[in-house]
Amino acid sequence: MGANDIDELRAGFDLPFWALGSDATSDRGTVVISWPSVPVELVRAAGFSPVFARGGEAPTPAANRVLEPDLFPNRIRQLVEAALNGRLANVAAIVVPRSSDPDYKSFLYLRELTRRGIVAGLPPVWLFDLLHSDGADTQAYDAERARALSARLANLSGRPSGPEDLRREIASANRARAAARRLHSMRADAPLIAGAEILPLLGAFWQLEPARYASLAEAAADSVIDRPPLVGPRVLLAGAPVDSAVQHAAIEAEGAVVVAELSPFGSGAASADIDTSDDPLTALAEHYRRESIAARMPVKALMHKLDDALRGVDAVILSLPPDDATFGWDYPRVRELLARRSIPHAVLTGDPALAATGTDSNRIRTLLGAVASKRETRCG
Amino acid sequence: MAEKQLQSTLAATAFQKQWFGDLRRRVFEERRPYALIQADVPFELFDLLEIPAVSNQWWSSLVAAKRQAPAFLDAMAGDGLAEQLCRYCSLGLATTRYGRAGEAPWGGLPAPRLLCARLTCDCIHRVFSLWAEAFDAELFEIDNPGASELPPRWWELSRHRWRELVEPHRLEFVRATLERLIERLESISERRLDRAALRERLERVNRQEEIFDAARRLIAEAPATPVRMTEQIANVMATQWVRGTNWALAHAQHFYDELRHRVDAGIAACPGEKLRLMWVGAGLWHDTDFYTAFEASHGAVFVWSMYLAFGPDGYIRYGLDEPLDALASRTASFNEFLHHPPWAAEWIVAQAREHRIDAALVLHPKSMKPSATGRLFIERALEEAGVPVLPVEADVVDARAWDPAAARRAVSTFLDERVPQ
Repeated sequence: MGANDIDELRAGFDLPFWALGSDATSDRGTVVISWPSVPVELVRAAGFSPVFARGGEAPTPAANRVLEPDLFPNRIRQLVEAALNGRLANVAAIVVPRSSDPDYKSFLYLRELTRRGIVAGLPPVWLFDLLHSDGADTQAYDAERARALSARLANLSGRPSGPEDLRREIASANRARAAARRLHSMRADAPLIAGAEILPLLGAFWQLEPARYASLAEAAADSVIDRPPLVGPRVLLAGAPVDSAVQHAAIEAEGAVVVAELSPFGSGAASADIDTSDDPLTALAEHYRRESIAARMPVKALMHKLDDALRGVDAVILSLPPDDATFGWDYPRVRELLARRSIPHAVLTGDPALAATGTDSNRIRTLLGAVASKRETRCG
Repeated sequence: MAEKQLQSTLAATAFQKQWFGDLRRRVFEERRPYALIQADVPFELFDLLEIPAVSNQWWSSLVAAKRQAPAFLDAMAGDGLAEQLCRYCSLGLATTRYGRAGEAPWGGLPAPRLLCARLTCDCIHRVFSLWAEAFDAELFEIDNPGASELPPRWWELSRHRWRELVEPHRLEFVRATLERLIERLESISERRLDRAALRERLERVNRQEEIFDAARRLIAEAPATPVRMTEQIANVMATQWVRGTNWALAHAQHFYDELRHRVDAGIAACPGEKLRLMWVGAGLWHDTDFYTAFEASHGAVFVWSMYLAFGPDGYIRYGLDEPLDALASRTASFNEFLHHPPWAAEWIVAQAREHRIDAALVLHPKSMKPSATGRLFIERALEEAGVPVLPVEADVVDARAWDPAAARRAVSTFLDERVPQ
């Protein structure tokens, strides 16, 4: 794999949201999404490219005037800032899933900002009302919501898609998922690639054209396979799901390796395939209901994912930023599970999209120091 | 604590204490089931199936009013649950999970047979899962589909055109969930829900809320408010938890009659009323004296809170041929109207105008993230309507960071500097 391929994968993750507003023609083929709980297969089947709002260091003065402090994650502030600054004026639509209160409320806020004339020229803003609770009623509801979104997108693009079109799109995404899974497997046991390096390569799954992603991810896996294993404590990053590799970098700067994260932009991109033998819309909705790591994911499902991800892990770091209203409630359960497994942990409280605070850096250092002592004791 | 001015307030408080005592006796001595539920769950279904239901928010407010919240919240923080997490909906959990940390009011909550919560906020599933585990009890959840159609003046649709207020797919989903809830309740109570009785109960709820509507008009139109906001809340909430029952209807009427008498006799809650204030947000349960603190100094009386006003606009549903649909339409968007754009700001401004409000205090609940959203829209809309706004940073049940003197000083300064006398 050449440097150009790596650059393309990284760019496929890092650039699209920040490039919005610079090329009207390109924007017109884009649907902006606040979190990967919206089936990208539906977006692509309608002929659009999905682009995800991302947290970052860019200041958000306009958004800060309309969003209450400490309630919205960085990525939502960036989304609203982009809307207020006119960067989303040419995109085809903004789709917001029901997967967390901040996402849902960003939908309500964007609609209200338009109604009150505070922002002009926004494209249609739609809610994808994916519910995450268990039960037949929910599954039927979600399938209908997926059908409605598909119809809206088709109407917007003038490109209706039938079940076979959607099956083809899902199959294509499944091939990309398979490549992501292979790439992700390079982190198991003796990790061959650092978390800060791989997260963008996995996260690109959501925005790159699937065939291109599959090709690039396979090439990336080929290039990694002969690397020497990385040494250092193997860390799982959990808590509120991150959308960048900033915390990975902070953790790895202290000599650890992040081998998994509970985030759709990392390990979550390497999810299971979607079965299309029955109704593809139902299958899509069910996949995203079960797999979307977000605040509305039921705690049992999340704890299963955490449990699965603990294999071979030396330490766990939980990200619980100031805007978190949900994942902090899991702390007693997580602490108990980790105690049973004798896995130490630390909690970070800074914004995961920004450089680690001094407090968080100390917590990382203390945790990894304890892990190193434990390893030395174990090795005699 | 300010003296109670209304006989009905004393009766409401006595009723609640008696009701809770009866509940404990039934649970402990007769081993009868009861349910612990969120305030926006349809209580009517539980009552009709003879499963008494305790409101989580009522319990939290009681713990806070008895000044027991800090001990339980300290215990929760000591268990690693971050201070930023919502305290209002979780204080009850804390009284169970950390029972030895403090003294819960009136002997504490017995173990319920069932917990039931509508998943309004992201944290509710978490809080109630932990609580159900602590009690080793069953949890029934009502998921919360999000509204896409957003009629700003929702209260103009809610009584007669409620089918237009909630999109058909959301109405159908909530109705189906309520059907499942009924099945669970029937199984627990070993009784069948009488659908005719449900319709009759909802008609009685309508009558109760019509009485509250008349009370609201009295307060809005009287030269000076006849009742303090705190007493409005005490009467309304005691009634709402058992809404549509004989006691509730009789008490609502008693409350109204007392107000009518006071208005006719020219009795004001605050003689010499000069300023009419509005409280936006949940009640400050640990310091209810705050609400009467500006009467003597400024002639400023709190006239409005959501508690009385929301009854008529939030609950009344006419056209009860399909009572479960009507109930589902109320449940589907219940407290979103109180907090989120566009609904909350439009309604609160309309209420401010109707009640001749001079100034508004808007709660900034630091640890109640879901309730804290939308407040900037509310504040902007009030200011645009000519109502000066003072944001009040506070937690409704957690007094630990609350400085009563500083808060009172801030309000005094605000009234002096921003509100025309």
